[in-house]
Amino acid sequence: MVRKIIIIFLFSTLFLRAQEVQDRNIYENNCLSCHQFSSLKLDKIFFSYLIKYSSELSVKAALIDFLKNPNLQTSVMSEDELRRLGLKTKTNLDDEKLKEAIDIYWELYDVSNRLW
Amino acid sequence: MLALKSKGTNLLKSERKTLTSFLLLYSFLSIVILLFSAFIYYNLQKDDMLQYQNNRLKEYSHELISKIKYLHNNFDKSQKYPRFIYFNSAIYDSSQNLIFSTLQEEKVKLDETIYKIKDNIHYVRLLDSYYLGAMYVVVEIVDDEEWLGFVKMKVIIYGIVLFLILLFAGYFLLSLLLNPMRESILLLDRFIKDTTHELNTPVSSILTNIEMIDSSKLDEKIAKKIKRIDIASRTISNIYNDLTYIALGNQIHSKDEMIDMKALIIERVEFFNVIAKVKKLETMLDLDEEVKLYIDKNKITRLIDNLMSNAIKYNKKESFIRIILKNGYLCVEDGGIGVKKEQIKQMFDRYSRFNESEGGFGLGLSIISQIAKEYNLKLKIESKINIGTKVIVKW
Repeated sequence: MVRKIIIIFLFSTLFLRAQEVQDRNIYENNCLSCHQFSSLKLDKIFFSYLIKYSSELSVKAALIDFLKNPNLQTSVMSEDELRRLGLKTKTNLDDEKLKEAIDIYWELYDVSNRLW
Repeated sequence: MLALKSKGTNLLKSERKTLTSFLLLYSFLSIVILLFSAFIYYNLQKDDMLQYQNNRLKEYSHELISKIKYLHNNFDKSQKYPRFIYFNSAIYDSSQNLIFSTLQEEKVKLDETIYKIKDNIHYVRLLDSYYLGAMYVVVEIVDDEEWLGFVKMKVIIYGIVLFLILLFAGYFLLSLLLNPMRESILLLDRFIKDTTHELNTPVSSILTNIEMIDSSKLDEKIAKKIKRIDIASRTISNIYNDLTYIALGNQIHSKDEMIDMKALIIERVEFFNVIAKVKKLETMLDLDEEVKLYIDKNKITRLIDNLMSNAIKYNKKESFIRIILKNGYLCVEDGGIGVKKEQIKQMFDRYSRFNESEGGFGLGLSIISQIAKEYNLKLKIESKINIGTKVIVKW
């Protein structure tokens, strides 16, 4: 009986961990993979969105809107950066995955969790 | 009211009650108005104080914003929220969610610019650029409440002065309102005084002359007529005495002496006997010897006379009057028409009468009540409709 419980516990821990890694992979594979080598760092983008949209809801909504339909009007990049790097292409992630990736992104850079 | 008393007049209980109610209501309304004014004054002073603090807090908010701006641009180097000696602060996003706070009072009103909450003053400022995501910046300072001490002192001093002025105005207003009533009472009293004065000589003359007539030598018809005159004269005499007491009673100094109550009651019963016989009333006496009372003779006579007079007046024909005198109390009982329980309290009011068919001014029980009050005598009335009334005087 004890063995069964231990096995179930181990499996569920492994499952949750795998899920976490998978979730993180969405962000890492689809966002970090390009931006870590780009001059346009993700933390800089985050603060650009924060200074313009303020709340979590507004920032996430603006990010989804831009990633699904990138255009000059909704971009937070400076003119210089736009000239240098150009607009990014449309995301190929579905809504659910895109939301997951953005949630991870918010959690990573959310200032209220990092201020002390 | 004091003025009324000094002129020998007394207001009815109901009138006094009305006046007391008026004064209470007036005082209550005055206090409500004063409290309302104090509340407005407090709010104005608070607004003044906040206005005074506004510029200071605005400067603090500038200081805070510049630090937040620096932190926003250098977040990778430091994540330490700026702290200040003179004030505390907090930042909120556009959804009014807290980002970070060093406030003592956590409850904030982001839709107001400046306000006092508990011992603190909050200043809220909206940002154009949302550094660190902050749309609202809240600056907090501690209110030393020095201004509140001044406000409290002023409210108390001015409140008392204004209340006294309002009270004086109320008294003046009341005097104006009472003037017509006072004048009519004075007029009535003056009339009673004049009338009683003019009645004294003829009534005394009639009574003395009747007493001098030897009725045994008279014709039966004439004797009967003389008896009627005697009854009428005694009734007038009794009314005269009542009116004199009411009109002058308060001004006459009491001459208290030891009164033999039994002897006095027998004397008064004999006086009223002629009137009682008209109604064929049986007078039953149960009088203890040696019952003495230290009292003014004229006043105790008025008390007994009025008890007797009422017992005769409101009695049925061929009924009875029972007078019991024991050590400590006097009881006059009749087998008359009686009064309702709820009317007993009003019986002591001057001019109150419950049976219009009988004569009189309704002064009897009022006089009894006044005398009882003066000498601390306790009055108790028991009455049942159509069975009778019992008045007990205890001392």
